[in-house]
Amino acid sequence: MDLNDEDLIRRVVEDGDQRAYAQLVRRYQSQLRFSLRQLCDGDQALADDMAQEAFIKAYKALPAFRGDARFSTWLYRIAYNLVMSHKRKNAPEVDQEAVDRAQAQESVEESQQLGMARDLNAAMGELSEAQRQAVHLCMQRGFSHEEAASIMKLPLGTVKSHVNRARAKLQTLLQAWREEVVNG
Amino acid sequence: MDKFEQWQGGANTLNDSTLQGKDPDFDAWLGQQLQFNEPYLDNDGFCERVMAQLPAPSRRAERRATRVQYAAVLAASAIVAWQFPFGEVLSEAVQQSISLYSLVGVGILSSLAAMTGGILAARR
Repeated sequence: MDLNDEDLIRRVVEDGDQRAYAQLVRRYQSQLRFSLRQLCDGDQALADDMAQEAFIKAYKALPAFRGDARFSTWLYRIAYNLVMSHKRKNAPEVDQEAVDRAQAQESVEESQQLGMARDLNAAMGELSEAQRQAVHLCMQRGFSHEEAASIMKLPLGTVKSHVNRARAKLQTLLQAWREEVVNG
Repeated sequence: MDKFEQWQGGANTLNDSTLQGKDPDFDAWLGQQLQFNEPYLDNDGFCERVMAQLPAPSRRAERRATRVQYAAVLAASAIVAWQFPFGEVLSEAVQQSISLYSLVGVGILSSLAAMTGGILAARR
């Protein structure tokens, strides 16, 4: 039976049902790990460690979860805080080997993708990190601007501005593809 | 990357209307493309690693769950007992000259079996 997030959280908090939490982990692991890989500049091992830590932290804090926001927003906020704090602590240390490995793997995958995907990645690479995150959260994950602002700990106006600027840039960079789709 | 390079030069000259981003079609299309390009990451033992590191659930929560299970089984037993035609069974037993003691014994044993089954099922 596929229970919604609220029911699963109730089971975890009230009955100590860890299987319910396992269901939540399975539900969000792919999305969260993928998002964190982008945030960790392609370091997959670090992203997975951070995602794991975020799920554990969320479990411990679950009794305090009031349900004001969606569980996914709350989980992303925890994960983003962890990554940002890790980045602050370990600013000069980048696991270059892991990054190179991931990039090599990506380039093999990219060569098999369609031109659109390649150009989209390249266009995303033209954005600033904050713009990329804002677009990822709002347009890929479907978070509202308010939710993205709360995850990124930025003022709402700043997030809106990041999204608008990124959208405009992407729109210009990908115009040819759009025209191709529209014209069939 | 032909199309990307072709349009890259234009990215630096954004006008006000593009900046305002009033093209819902583009938003929908971009959202689709971003999602289409996202791979699904297999669990690959990730969930199990998380679960292995979780602290044990609190005793209070466990006790509460057990109490709820016992209450459910008791309520179910009470409903069965309420609906069970004890009078008819007794009179039938007297007519068939079955020993009252063996009848009570069978009743108690069946109730115990039903309750144990109920508890085990609820725990599973």
